[in-house]
Amino acid sequence: MSVNVSGRDRQVIINPLVTCMPMGAMWAVLGINRGIPLVQGSQGCSTFVRYHLARHFREPIEIAVSSFHESTAVFGGKKNLNISLKTIVQRQNPDLIGVVTTCSSEIIGDDVYGFVESNKEELKDLGHDNTEIIPINTPSFAGSHFVGYNKAVDALIKNLTVINENNEGDDNKINIIPGLLNPGDVNEIKHILDVMHVPYTILTDISETFNSPLNPKKQEHPYFGKGGTTVDEIRNISANKGTISITKYAKTGAETLEQTHKVPAVTDNLPPIGIKGTDDFIMTVNKLTKHDILDTLMTERGLTLDLMADVSARYLAGRKVVIFGDPTLVTGLTSFIIEIGMEPVMVTTGSEEKTFPTDIENMSKGQNIDVITEGDLKVVEDYVKDKDNGVELILGSSEARFINYDTGIPLVRFGFPVYDRVGYHSQPIVGYRGAKRVVEMITNEVLAKYYEEKHWKLQQ
Amino acid sequence: MPFKLFDIDKEIPERKKHIYVKDEHNCEIDCNKSTIPGCMTERGCALAGGRGVITGAVKDAIGLVHSPVGCQYYTTGVKRYPSQPQLPNGEIFPIDNFNLKYSFGTDLKEANIVFGGMKKLKEAIIEANKECPFASAIYVNSTCTTGLIGDDVDAICKEMTEKIDKDVVAFNTPGFSGVSQSKGHHITNDAVFDRLVGTKEPPNTTQYDICLIGEYNIDGDLWVIEKYLTEMGLNILSRFSGDASHDELCWMQRSKLNLVRCQRSATYIADLIEEKYGIPYKKVDFFSCEYCSDNLRMLGRHFSLEEESEAVIEKYYGKVKEELEWYKEQLTGKKVYIFSGGPKSWHLSIPLEKELGLDIIAVASQFEHSDGYDKMKARVKEGTTILDDPNSLELEEMILESKPDLILAGIKEKYLSYKYGVPAIQIHSYENGPYIGYEGFLNLAKDIYNNINAPVWKLMEFKTE
Repeated sequence: MSVNVSGRDRQVIINPLVTCMPMGAMWAVLGINRGIPLVQGSQGCSTFVRYHLARHFREPIEIAVSSFHESTAVFGGKKNLNISLKTIVQRQNPDLIGVVTTCSSEIIGDDVYGFVESNKEELKDLGHDNTEIIPINTPSFAGSHFVGYNKAVDALIKNLTVINENNEGDDNKINIIPGLLNPGDVNEIKHILDVMHVPYTILTDISETFNSPLNPKKQEHPYFGKGGTTVDEIRNISANKGTISITKYAKTGAETLEQTHKVPAVTDNLPPIGIKGTDDFIMTVNKLTKHDILDTLMTERGLTLDLMADVSARYLAGRKVVIFGDPTLVTGLTSFIIEIGMEPVMVTTGSEEKTFPTDIENMSKGQNIDVITEGDLKVVEDYVKDKDNGVELILGSSEARFINYDTGIPLVRFGFPVYDRVGYHSQPIVGYRGAKRVVEMITNEVLAKYYEEKHWKLQQ
Repeated sequence: MPFKLFDIDKEIPERKKHIYVKDEHNCEIDCNKSTIPGCMTERGCALAGGRGVITGAVKDAIGLVHSPVGCQYYTTGVKRYPSQPQLPNGEIFPIDNFNLKYSFGTDLKEANIVFGGMKKLKEAIIEANKECPFASAIYVNSTCTTGLIGDDVDAICKEMTEKIDKDVVAFNTPGFSGVSQSKGHHITNDAVFDRLVGTKEPPNTTQYDICLIGEYNIDGDLWVIEKYLTEMGLNILSRFSGDASHDELCWMQRSKLNLVRCQRSATYIADLIEEKYGIPYKKVDFFSCEYCSDNLRMLGRHFSLEEESEAVIEKYYGKVKEELEWYKEQLTGKKVYIFSGGPKSWHLSIPLEKELGLDIIAVASQFEHSDGYDKMKARVKEGTTILDDPNSLELEEMILESKPDLILAGIKEKYLSYKYGVPAIQIHSYENGPYIGYEGFLNLAKDIYNNINAPVWKLMEFKTE
């Protein structure tokens, strides 16, 4: 067998690669136009997430919290939620509040669904009935932020999407559940669909809320990020032609739409990373909508192939790569690393994604790949620092910067979080153009690290 | 009206007592109270105040968070707390910046919530010790989860201390404790005092031994002060807790004088040490040239090192004086808010006005107590707005109302401020620090100048002519 699957050989986590559920849910709610996440828990549960998202996106991240204190642990969080909802609705008048639960609220047994229902009545009596309030159960101990994201998208669909009896709506419109992709990636997916003239709803769309233009004269108060998916859009997705979940961890919403509204779900494809992944994505869209695959996309594909032909054999062939991070991004990048002739020697995600080892095995073409399930950053570090493994490149988040400093092995940054370089959240790794960017980043790191010593090899 | 109710707060009128526009009445500001749920507070939790602020700075201890993965994830390497590997016994700790590079956690799952997490905690302690046998101690933080399920973290830590023959210290910091980070500071001060202070003896002592308490080495601040104090002949016996080794915390009782730098997060332990061991402490302030000189002189007098302190002042003040005067000319009259976590609002208000010519029009704190607000009130002019636990909507309204030239705040407020066209610098973690001492104050002046004068702020409008 060419793929060796193993677990972490200790229980204690050293530098986790994932965080807990609530952050994923907050991420999804922040992709709603005029949406506010309300964390039903302690202040740290909101403030830490705000800190981490703010340093990655360099954007305001506005998240409310119901401020649990000792008394809440004794008396429950009903009063906290009640005051929070009133305060938010009266001051900010959002279109949607996603009530994100935490370990505390789940352990003390808050009936968030019941609380929300009774509050809706009260708010209605106060004359505020235009804010959707969606409970999202995300007990921190029951899964990673990927699971929390999935639960939030599903909760939004379950609570908002209505039956479209007349089957009205845009012809050939599709739904995309992007997962925890960066704004640059979501924009690239939109670009592909725009080129194909396919209308879409992104569930949910953080491409602008996490990447808002600076234009103080037009800045509304209270602050909401620009863009995001509107509540009305989500109401109307039941008549769309299909739902593509880019990631495997966020497919429950697509399945809900299929079961409840007969919207076909496409959930188990490779992500649109690299050539084959992007080919598959475009074919999926083509099959769902019958829209043509236009020359523009083939030109983009050709430009990426052109660069791959330039650099693959010349600089990259056989070089050993370690990849860690989001299970979908790692799967896609592993496939692409193989396409550019490099060798993925170890991959890990830190998440609970069950099909990850099989997905890697299916794409390996004789390479020996170590797949470590539920890894952490120390696993990555130990592997990279073991000289027998001959690692020449690391693909991962900024968290691996110390491994890079210690070993000098280049780190090509992708995913979340990237806080020690700029521009990474706004540029894509998906699609043909994203693939081209990945090849450029990898090649330039390889040239700087492995060729400058013999600089004459760089003359032509 | 001395108290101010923002338009955005009309539905939560209780906010009015937290916002005071200074007048001749010297009114009492409501503070250290529970936050109004849903008001978009900037506050954090006890774990942030404990592990984030204090124990996360210790360079040779394993930080182990007993929680679902999130609490560990969020407290990994976030504070700008560099450390050097030198230990007091002359040995070199095998990993530099160990406190920034590694965090450990028990990663509690559903079954642990049902059946308890104590077994997992024990295993985690043993495994962490096996991974890093060179670590001097293990600091265990409890969290909301482990507080609620009732894990007896104290008992486990006691048991494990014997088992691995190394201090395993429990810090009981469930996030819901208290109203803000401030509770976490207090819990951690108490735990360090109860569990560690007095348990070890320093390799040697001198009559010039001091403890630098409440200095966490943000972006290298501690190293600046340490340089001044060492050059004037003082010996830093312990740091609490920037760039500190575990052992230093255990022999704080041997200091001759304790200096308390961050008076919000660390006066507790200075009080406790004074009470039990009779060691006096002085509250010190090294932000800005004037405060720095005053405090160095005070220490010179205390230890009869007057000449030495004057030499240090001359040497380092001399290096920055002329440049600071230039910055003062450039910055005079610029309007600034200081939205700090704790005491920086009162540390910086007078220096920024007097030494850099800035006009402080608002000061705020997330978690100060009434003694801090007394200092804040005393150090601003009439008409200055003073806010307790400000929320982001109030900040927006203030910006729109009295557009300042610059805001000193945290990363959460910084990017919000940008959107309304106002530059902001991080005053909790700094931009290009250190900010303390003479050269630090020059760094701060440069950052203030560069931010206010960044050309981008003049390009906001698309001009058609």
